[in-house]
Amino acid sequence: MGMIEVNNLVKQYKGAKTPSVDDISFKVDNGEFFAFLGPNGAGKTTTISILTTTLSKTSGEVKIAGFDVEKDARQVREKVGIIFQQPSLDPQLTAEQNIRFHACLYGMCGYRPTFKMMPAAYRKKVLELAEIVGIQDVLFRPIKKLSGGMQRKLEIIRSLIHTPDVLFLDESTQGLDAVSRRGLWDYINDVRNQYGTTIFLTTHYIDEAENVDKVCLINHGEIAACCSPEEMKRSLLKQELVLDAEDRTTLTNELTALGLTFTVNGRVIVPYTESAQEIISRLQTKLTVLRIHEPSLEDAYVEFLNKTRRGAA
Amino acid sequence: MSELALTRKKSRIFRELNTVLTVAAREITVFLKSPGTAIMSLALPLVMMGMIGGNLMQNMAGDLGFDFGQFMLIGMLVTMLFMITTMGMTSLVDDHDIDFNQEMLVSPVSRYSLVVGKILGGSFAAIVSMAGTLLVGLLMGITLPLGKLLLVLALAPLMCLSGGALAMIFIGLIKNKKAANLAVMLITMPQMFLSGAIIPIASSSGVLLVLSRLMPMTYCLDLTRAVVYSGSAEYSSVVMFNPLINFAVIISLTVVCLVIGTLFFARSEKNL
Repeated sequence: MGMIEVNNLVKQYKGAKTPSVDDISFKVDNGEFFAFLGPNGAGKTTTISILTTTLSKTSGEVKIAGFDVEKDARQVREKVGIIFQQPSLDPQLTAEQNIRFHACLYGMCGYRPTFKMMPAAYRKKVLELAEIVGIQDVLFRPIKKLSGGMQRKLEIIRSLIHTPDVLFLDESTQGLDAVSRRGLWDYINDVRNQYGTTIFLTTHYIDEAENVDKVCLINHGEIAACCSPEEMKRSLLKQELVLDAEDRTTLTNELTALGLTFTVNGRVIVPYTESAQEIISRLQTKLTVLRIHEPSLEDAYVEFLNKTRRGAA
Repeated sequence: MSELALTRKKSRIFRELNTVLTVAAREITVFLKSPGTAIMSLALPLVMMGMIGGNLMQNMAGDLGFDFGQFMLIGMLVTMLFMITTMGMTSLVDDHDIDFNQEMLVSPVSRYSLVVGKILGGSFAAIVSMAGTLLVGLLMGITLPLGKLLLVLALAPLMCLSGGALAMIFIGLIKNKKAANLAVMLITMPQMFLSGAIIPIASSSGVLLVLSRLMPMTYCLDLTRAVVYSGSAEYSSVVMFNPLINFAVIISLTVVCLVIGTLFFARSEKNL
């Protein structure tokens, strides 16, 4: 049994001519790190909203940890944590009061009017998490005085305080600087390693999905591909040799004579499928640049979108 | 990272009561952090009791067969509870705007607990207004005996719950602050004039009689007056129904409004 099982899910909003999510199916295993990628309006947030019980589906079957999202909504809510695309903090409360509110709603502790009166385990946990993500100095400040990055960090603490089995991250690192992003990912990876938390990620920073176990590409509400990042890269792109020489014309003539295809884009780019060594060993021209370019998931993703656009045209 | 020492409480009742308390506490915290709201809660009795009530006393109090000042004070107290609790429910719209409703609705608790917590938290401001009304009444020379006042205070949470539940039916569906503010007027103004808060309705007839019987505040007022006037000669002139009937109607209307209002709220947030 998968942690998340989606079968033939359809969501069509009232008055919409076409479904936002159109008959999609996928499965996420327990402890898996799963990325759900697609352009704006592809149906990512709609899917996450259905999985987290905040949006009703039109048809299909969705289960989280074996529980149906509509029939067993309460059990599903016990299992999941979510960081929404838009911050969902109360700006009039302090950072700690926002965490306390969440912890109490999830039954982690009884409500007390001040932090000092809260159970020691809660206080210890909050201070520990605040230190890890670096917001210990602003923990008792009102949210409206916190930067966007600080608010995101706070939301991450809040979403993890009840140790969910599945954590949904809906473009959660948007607006964070590189150092903060890296710090958060280090922490989320720690949580994943320690508790085996399943992570469901949507992001526009494709590099964040480079190390996921499985990636699904969604476009116009339909799933276009669902596999490992390596498989996706292999299916969409070839590895490339980046070459250059003092006499570039000789080099390109030699490549043509060897029957190799190439493009010249600042450097000479030679895509290949088999051995780079074999190509290099056959070249006589003295090279000034020799590099192997491994395509990234972002390259594959861009290629996927370009192919889709070309197909539509 | 150390092991989590926090564990979830198993008892469903504990968790639901804790939710009511947590949501109510948030409302109170936000109220205390908003001086403008607190000032308004205290200023409103000055307008309602001092100006409207004072004017009515000077022009309407003769030959009624009972002390109009005390009659009106009770009317204003219940009106304040209804009006301020209803106004408090408009914070649902603010919560929707900042996506905080999503945070609440994704939590594994009953939607009823969230709504009841919201109403009870909102009633804190209503109690402040109630205190303001009593103070203005005192300045106008209208008082309640301490024992009766304590009984009215004991009934206040039920009145607030009743007013808040009624407000949920309208505000639960609204996603716009201006519309929510208009809804408050739509809910509270007819009740103030048709339920007998400041104008006796014992002689109402026709449509106005039917409307007065449909207003939850009619029964809240009548119950409160039954408690205050119990044992006095004015009881039969002021109180319309048996207190038990009032109590039963209040509970029934509150439950019905709460169920419908919560359903509307949860459905509107779920974008069916």
